[in-house]
Amino acid sequence: MDAVEKANLERQKRWAKERKVGEGTYAVVYQGREVGTGRKVAIKKIKVGAMKDGLDMSAIREVKYLRELEHQNVISLLDVFSSKTNLNLVLEWLETDLEMIIKNHSLVFLPADIKSWIAMTLRGLEFCHRNFILHRDLKPNNLLIAADGQLKIADFGLARDFADPGYKMTCQVITRWYRPPELLFGCRYYSTAVDMWSVGCIFAELMLRTPYLPGESDMDQLKTIFRALGTPTEEEWPGHTKLPDYVPVGQFTKSSMRDLFTAATADCLNLLSKFFIYEPRKRISARDALHHPYFFALPNPTHPSKLPKISTQPSSRTLEEVDGNVDLDSPGPAVKAPAPVPNRLKRKLSSVSSNQDGRETYARRLDFSQ
Amino acid sequence: MSRRLYPLASLEQIQNSPSRQDGIPAELEEDLRAYGCKLIHQAGILLKQKQVAVATAQILFQRFWFVTSMKQFGIGDVGMGALYLASKLEECPLRMRDLINVYDLLLQRAAHSLKPEGKEFKYTPMSYFGNTFYDLKDALVVAEMQLLKRLGFDVHVVLPYGTLVNYMRLLDLTGREDAVSRAWGYLNDALQTPVYASYPVQTIVSAAILLATRHLGIPLPSTPPNCWWDLFDAEWEDVWAVCGYIMRLYRERSLEDRRQVIGMLTKKDVRRWLEENAPS
Repeated sequence: MDAVEKANLERQKRWAKERKVGEGTYAVVYQGREVGTGRKVAIKKIKVGAMKDGLDMSAIREVKYLRELEHQNVISLLDVFSSKTNLNLVLEWLETDLEMIIKNHSLVFLPADIKSWIAMTLRGLEFCHRNFILHRDLKPNNLLIAADGQLKIADFGLARDFADPGYKMTCQVITRWYRPPELLFGCRYYSTAVDMWSVGCIFAELMLRTPYLPGESDMDQLKTIFRALGTPTEEEWPGHTKLPDYVPVGQFTKSSMRDLFTAATADCLNLLSKFFIYEPRKRISARDALHHPYFFALPNPTHPSKLPKISTQPSSRTLEEVDGNVDLDSPGPAVKAPAPVPNRLKRKLSSVSSNQDGRETYARRLDFSQ
Repeated sequence: MSRRLYPLASLEQIQNSPSRQDGIPAELEEDLRAYGCKLIHQAGILLKQKQVAVATAQILFQRFWFVTSMKQFGIGDVGMGALYLASKLEECPLRMRDLINVYDLLLQRAAHSLKPEGKEFKYTPMSYFGNTFYDLKDALVVAEMQLLKRLGFDVHVVLPYGTLVNYMRLLDLTGREDAVSRAWGYLNDALQTPVYASYPVQTIVSAAILLATRHLGIPLPSTPPNCWWDLFDAEWEDVWAVCGYIMRLYRERSLEDRRQVIGMLTKKDVRRWLEENAPS
């Protein structure tokens, strides 16, 4: 055994696997502990032996980018070690994710809560973009929430760097409901704007408590987008009809955002609409979004530790605190949204296991399937 | 000094590399490293792979030998693994079978060059489901994993090309096409030496510029306190040492020396050589 093997064994001994919490095509996730401190961690075991092409691309991307990124709002990779033929990533343990929180209708969101989540998302994303990394799979279930309420961007299996302008990339990225129209039209040269569209979808979903643009197929996704935001004109989005997979999907007129997002302030709607600008070059950047008046207007964002979280105790908030953002009696969103029938909503790539006694057991999602 | 994103070998690793600890002489290790890199380069060209992936593979390959002995892993297998891994890292993944076919060709050609002269080389393709394929495939998967594991999963590589362009601009040499392409060439040749794993990029780029300008007789301010390399945070001793590494690549080698290197592509060959040459 040489020095490298010894070092690896040392590292392996630092972490103990406790129980399996989830499984995907390429990896198994365990809950574990740091032996020395008892700190909870997630251990993602990448199966290598089972694979035909050596190590999976998404595992390599995840290791590469998480090694580089260190930010409060990005999940941290604590260690990597190998056992026999497997690769193990040790990640910080995060209790839940934003999707679970959105779906839990016993929780009430205040406008300040939404502001806080979006601010944390944008801070993490701005850091990624500043380091020339595109996430390419932003959606509520990839935004994990730590015990202290901090939101962390996770799952860098589809991430890549974009230092080379004009380098062709695949358009088959981002879960459909959060995918921007330029990718649906087959655009192969894109940039940070694709992630910003996803942030817009998440922002809207936080307010609506249901996915904003849930298309059933790639074609339907375009229709859904245009129904909500209007079919783009050549003026709004020059050149979009020349994109590789462009197909006319019909003329829709823009429906008023004001009617759908009834409780939103003018600042809030203004920011939201900037995430949904068709022309990718004009779409707001993470940096500019953070400087938007929305974040400087009252109410101030909720402190992360005070954000709604899933717990056994019923919400300690009194009704007076709830300022009409959400209708408490209705199980769904209090909006006149053309909401799809709930049971037809199948979120792709997710496998949430929840038992109905109020406490949600949460399995870390493994999105390796794209 | 700015923070470096990429790891460099420690002084101890450079002075006493794992291969040297196992009894492989320094010069032979240097030649084996260079030959492994040449194979990566040839494979890259045959596969029409992007130069960034090839260069990344060569740098990972060079780093690997600061933590592992050639007695344990063969330069052929590790080179193949490095090119495979680097291609994934640079988002231009290769098909396993393509890479294996190309390496098989290169290995056969190497073996042929050791045979007595006269016969022309003819490549015999492997059978689609033959053992050769599965053996090479296993070796490839192992090499990829070992590279990651032994490099501590730190696969960040900074390539020198952008820096060269900047420096040439600063030195007002972009008009001298011969100087630019020559320096560029030295950077590529330096990939066959361990310098990318032991010196920061600015030092290597300065060395390439130094070699190019001196060979072409282009004068640059070089008397203290006005030395152009100071501008790029490079130390003269280091720049000069890197130049040495690069120039050593071009020295004449005897036929025996060359054959010896070609005959040590696998760890088995290395072990046999070590037994035959064991100090008595």
